[in-house]
Amino acid sequence: MSAYAPPPFDHPPRPIAQRIGAIAWPSFFTACVVTMVFFAFVDPLDLRDITFPGIEISRSMGYTIAFFMFWLATASSSLFTWLLLRPSSRFNRALPPE
Amino acid sequence: MTRKIDIDLLDDGGGNSYYVKERKVYPRDVSGRMDKLRKLAVAWLLGMYYLFPWLNWDGRQAVLFHLQERKFHVFGPTFWPQDFSFLAMLLIILALVLFFVTAIGGRLWCGFACPQTVWTETFLWMERWTEGDRSKRMKLDAGPWNREKILRKGSKHVLWIVFALWTGLTFTGFFTPIRDLGARFWPFAWNGWEVFWVLFYAFAVWMWAGILREQMCKYMCPYARFQSAMFDRNTLIIAYDPMRGEPRGPRKRGLGDVLARGRGLLEKFTAYDYVFRAARHPSAADSRAQARGTISFDPTTAPVEPLPKFPAEQLGDCIDCTMCVQVCPVGIDIRNGLQYECIACGLCIDACDNVMDLMGFRRGLIRYSTQNAIDGKPSRVLRPRILVYALLLLALVAGFTWGIGNRSPLIAEVLRDRNALYRVTADGIDNGYTLKLVNKGDTAQQYRIRLESVTPGIDLGARTADTVAAAAGQIVSVPIELSAPASLQGRHDVRFVIETADGKVRETVESSFFGPL
Repeated sequence: MSAYAPPPFDHPPRPIAQRIGAIAWPSFFTACVVTMVFFAFVDPLDLRDITFPGIEISRSMGYTIAFFMFWLATASSSLFTWLLLRPSSRFNRALPPE
Repeated sequence: MTRKIDIDLLDDGGGNSYYVKERKVYPRDVSGRMDKLRKLAVAWLLGMYYLFPWLNWDGRQAVLFHLQERKFHVFGPTFWPQDFSFLAMLLIILALVLFFVTAIGGRLWCGFACPQTVWTETFLWMERWTEGDRSKRMKLDAGPWNREKILRKGSKHVLWIVFALWTGLTFTGFFTPIRDLGARFWPFAWNGWEVFWVLFYAFAVWMWAGILREQMCKYMCPYARFQSAMFDRNTLIIAYDPMRGEPRGPRKRGLGDVLARGRGLLEKFTAYDYVFRAARHPSAADSRAQARGTISFDPTTAPVEPLPKFPAEQLGDCIDCTMCVQVCPVGIDIRNGLQYECIACGLCIDACDNVMDLMGFRRGLIRYSTQNAIDGKPSRVLRPRILVYALLLLALVAGFTWGIGNRSPLIAEVLRDRNALYRVTADGIDNGYTLKLVNKGDTAQQYRIRLESVTPGIDLGARTADTVAAAAGQIVSVPIELSAPASLQGRHDVRFVIETADGKVRETVESSFFGPL
């Protein structure tokens, strides 16, 4: 057992477009599927009546709101995963010069 | 380049796996000021956790988030699912408190208040009672399975599991009345969900605080990863003073500290260079201590030479005893500088202070200080970010308090019947509605229903009662009919007014009345 293991391979940061894509795209796809499955069983108008009956929300409006809510949730989850998978070298750096 | 590079063939067991099992951390017991503070925090926080569900308030459980009844009691006030906005606001306030405290005091949350820290600490105490301190535990783990090992490990897990089950029961007791839960324990009459949640939470505590411990902070905690965004050079951190401590090395007792023997503090650049070189060429003592920080230094092209052997009078105050590493619950070497793994528990401060006392040196080689103070510059408490956080907090807390104080004890909603836009009857046109009332107060109420409309002729139907009674905490649903003369056409605004007899509580709901188009 060597006390000091060799430093693990530290992948350099990927381009920003790749990072955004890896978070936005899978979450978008999942949100699409979830929206379809969800509204196969639930009518947006029923949903409106038990939540905000005072606000005029049409069916297509309901679909849109729900889709973006699902996307927000799945994208947050992807963002969390990205944060946890960042190697520690991204955090353990010297303070920026003043 | 004459230095031989140490390379080792990785034994990957035939596969191509580079998987390395997380090495277990064996934190050494230490006592001191920070440890006392931590114990106080544990007693206070866990005291609240285990005691609160058993307290009563006005004949009901004082703190109870009653999921079955959809009512949330927090001592005096009772909250409803409709009060969700207060919860959202409270969470924002708590997040801001966290940012504010972090900007000033560093990771106080991680070191003292996080449930992960608090329960890990109690689980560690139980491990010490049964298996002994660091060296004994390491020996026990390395040794063969004999009677003593089975007894010690077994009794540890018995203690852990009993404690975890009690924790699970308490957790469930925040959501279903705990005295009732206790009364139904013998003879056993819990329902499936109660059993599930007690076991689930017990398992989670046992797993997180007993087995995973610091790995939760290192690999699963989001806060550990973004807390540095709140940090600047004036934030309190657990810091080793390399200007005073370097070059590190063992020596005989009797020599005073750097100031007493006139060596003084090193120049900053030299001191950090010594730290860097010591980290690259760990001493035998450092290797034994098995620190596994992931501090990354900026890459250099020049070869890193090990430190030469210094005569005792040139050494800094660090005697390289590695106590700071041995007591660390996340197993890092704080001398390498601030690392995201550091939960700022300050146990290394206690360990180092004890060693400094033994050596007759002044305390504070590792201390709770700011980067500016360590570098010999003045620290500033009032910074723009502190002021911004404070102002935001003040505004939010004020809004929250005002909102709680002026909460309406009545919720009223009017739903139009969806089946028909209007009905034509012998007397004219009827529209159907359902009125939903929630009496959030503590007393029964009699509510009056009135209708206001700019269009003359629309009024409550003859069959509609104009008063509704609701007991304390009751949800009432009543059908309402509006009628108008047959000549009325198109859409008209109407407003329902629901008020108590004394008129103190009043809610209005806007809706519409439809006639033939």
